[in-house]
Amino acid sequence: MTYRHLLPDEIDELLDGQVGFGVAPLEAHIRECAACRAEIEAGRRVVEAIEHLPRLSASPLFAERVMAKVDVYEPWHVAARDAVSTWVTRLTPRSRPMRVAAGAAGLSIAAVLSVACIWLGSHLDAVFFVGTIVRARLRDTLVEQAGAAVSAIFGPQSVGALRAGGPALLFAILATIAVLIVAAGLAVRLAVAAPGRTRRSGTS
Amino acid sequence: MPDPLFDLPNLPDADVVVLAQQGREAAYRELIRRYERPVFSLVYRMVRDRETAEELAQDTFVKALNNIDRYSPEFKLSSWLFKIANNLAIDQLRKARLPTVSLSGAPGAATAAEIEATSFEVATHEPSALQALEAREIGSAIEQAIAKLRPEYRSCIIMRHVEGRSYEEIATTLDLPLGTVKTYIHRARNELRTALEGVDDG
Repeated sequence: MTYRHLLPDEIDELLDGQVGFGVAPLEAHIRECAACRAEIEAGRRVVEAIEHLPRLSASPLFAERVMAKVDVYEPWHVAARDAVSTWVTRLTPRSRPMRVAAGAAGLSIAAVLSVACIWLGSHLDAVFFVGTIVRARLRDTLVEQAGAAVSAIFGPQSVGALRAGGPALLFAILATIAVLIVAAGLAVRLAVAAPGRTRRSGTS
Repeated sequence: MPDPLFDLPNLPDADVVVLAQQGREAAYRELIRRYERPVFSLVYRMVRDRETAEELAQDTFVKALNNIDRYSPEFKLSSWLFKIANNLAIDQLRKARLPTVSLSGAPGAATAAEIEATSFEVATHEPSALQALEAREIGSAIEQAIAKLRPEYRSCIIMRHVEGRSYEEIATTLDLPLGTVKTYIHRARNELRTALEGVDDG
């Protein structure tokens, strides 16, 4: 039993609900000492009043205002995984019978493709021969059509100049046309791009 | 494997933080949803102005979420948020230079003699009829009393008894020694008790 009044630390211990063998003598003293009991009661009133204070709410648009100022950074691999996951989810039928049918169709297509690959593998020489003929005919057709187009635009003498310049000249001209097309595409995209915050993707 | 985003409300803080670090916007919103009220409550009771508290609470989350990749899981997320919120509130109070005076002696006073030498009593004014009516409810009296505490005492007492944090957690959150936290809470309780005794008597 404690024969003195409680110290401030001891009062705090009781107010904090501490447990342990040192607390029992303090509680025994309170039962006998009106002054210390009054101290504890007053302290408990304060603690209860504070503990019952309400948690206050911010405005309903709080989250939106925060998100408007936050940069949500999505690593590229997470964006790619989400894109594939979204694509797979959209293609997956919702009903079980449809999922079964889609699975069966997928297996059938896989089986047919497997058989086709095996056949092609066993007839490779014939495939190469046919491929060579098709490639030659395609090249001749393309050259003929391109020559007609160039002749129509720049005149018949330009075809001869192109042939004299060789592949390097042709490559340079095609590269220039490609750059012009890409530049035009970027210009169109910049012109129609909408304002506002978008998700950024980058290396993680 | 089920998408963890479907079960966000039931995930522990650490898992939600990992999803936020992966750039999942839903995880960001979940963190805001979980801690909006505690953070706003703490800040409001520090600065006592709703508009300012709203701005500071928003700044807290913006600062935390924009630096979510730097969050270290060895600390509790709530402690980290409260630390940011408390620092912003203290900075705001310093800018506003709101006077707060302690009845319990100078901050550096350690011994009983020093405390007594630097303590003083504030002459109270008679409250108006309206103020007396408002102060009659114990809840509003305690709110007014908390508003008069020093900011450091206020932070400690709110975290201890409103948020239910342990002394050790408060010490970690506020970067204070454990003994200082105990002293601040003790002094805050005494000042609040004095204020409530006035209401009980009146």
